[in-house]
Amino acid sequence: MDHDRLLNLTSEIGCRLMECGGEIYRVEESIQRLLQAYGVSTGEVFAIPNCIIVSITLDAGQPLTRIRRVPSHGTDIDLLERYNALCRALCADTPSLPEAQARFEAITRTKRVYSAPAMVGGYFLGAASFTLFFGGTWRDALCSGICGIAMYLCLYFMGRLGTNLFFKTLAAGAVSALLALGFTWSGAGQNSDLIIIGALMLLVPGMIFTSAMRDIMAGDTMSGISKTAEALLIGAAIALGTGAALWLSQLLWR
Amino acid sequence: MEILTGYVLPCVYAFAACIGFSFLYNVHGFGMVICAVGGALGWLAYLLSAPLVGSDLIQIFVASLVISIYSEVMARIRKCPVTGYLMIALFPLVPGGGIYYAMEYAINGETDLFLSTLLHTLGLAGSLAVGILLVSSAVRLVNGLLRRRADHRAVRGE
Repeated sequence: MDHDRLLNLTSEIGCRLMECGGEIYRVEESIQRLLQAYGVSTGEVFAIPNCIIVSITLDAGQPLTRIRRVPSHGTDIDLLERYNALCRALCADTPSLPEAQARFEAITRTKRVYSAPAMVGGYFLGAASFTLFFGGTWRDALCSGICGIAMYLCLYFMGRLGTNLFFKTLAAGAVSALLALGFTWSGAGQNSDLIIIGALMLLVPGMIFTSAMRDIMAGDTMSGISKTAEALLIGAAIALGTGAALWLSQLLWR
Repeated sequence: MEILTGYVLPCVYAFAACIGFSFLYNVHGFGMVICAVGGALGWLAYLLSAPLVGSDLIQIFVASLVISIYSEVMARIRKCPVTGYLMIALFPLVPGGGIYYAMEYAINGETDLFLSTLLHTLGLAGSLAVGILLVSSAVRLVNGLLRRRADHRAVRGE
């Protein structure tokens, strides 16, 4: 048994699971089960949102440890499902390590992402439906959809510049709120607040908040607290961004 | 007519919104429909529980219970992580309006309204969380029991 290779593979799979938005307990349990399936019963795993430590003890008593720093990441449900399925399959029929490695790399190679037009459509649909959902008119929904598209473009270009999540959210919130106010001012939209709220739902940290709650319940309090803090920060960024836009408009039109 | 505008349309909007959000979080194929049905179902539970409880905090709680149970069941059926379905289906319950109105009051200098809206928003988020927590801990409990029973059986079989 090539323990170095096993350790590298399991920590890499754990890292990918975390990057796709898996909960802490999922990452820890997956690594633990993989190690057990390959006959290592002395594995120890510790994970927090941006770090994974895997350590095993060899039969001779020699410890082997791997630390993976997980970069800041989003959520990718499709990849998460596929890595999770891979973990189950590997635990069930433990193929040889090179084959396991090949299957792992095949997933990474063939990952499915939506094209840019589909993403634009998603942002439009999300924002527009939420405006209708909160009681806006059809014209409001159209304006909100356009704000959603502007938000996507803003997030995309800021992402290419490598800015952090807080600043990205702030800028996207400000851009969409300004646009929404412009629409209402020009008469295209009727309720500026509903337009802004519909578009804001795209930025709201519902994902992070939910996974924080699940982490806390699973006993990973530290991760739960750090994710909750992240969710609160993003909430503050949304409020600051739209707030700045509203304040600016009041300044100009008064 | 009242049923259409009061119950059906909001659920349809929630469905469409969840479809839109599936693109954002890279959900493909049939998973999208599952997420969207979850979102619509949750909002239906929110609307239907309104005459019974009469407080939106408890309504949100009921809806998040329904969504959590639904997504746990779906995850068991499809053998997929529950997170994806749960998170997207919960989006219609997230108090995005609260954040906005709190901020608007803050800018206009209406401190009382700002504080009460902020607290209400945090309360909504809290009851959403309690719903998720309750179901996910119940599921962990049941899973643990089942696993222990299976272990016992394996030992006896030897």
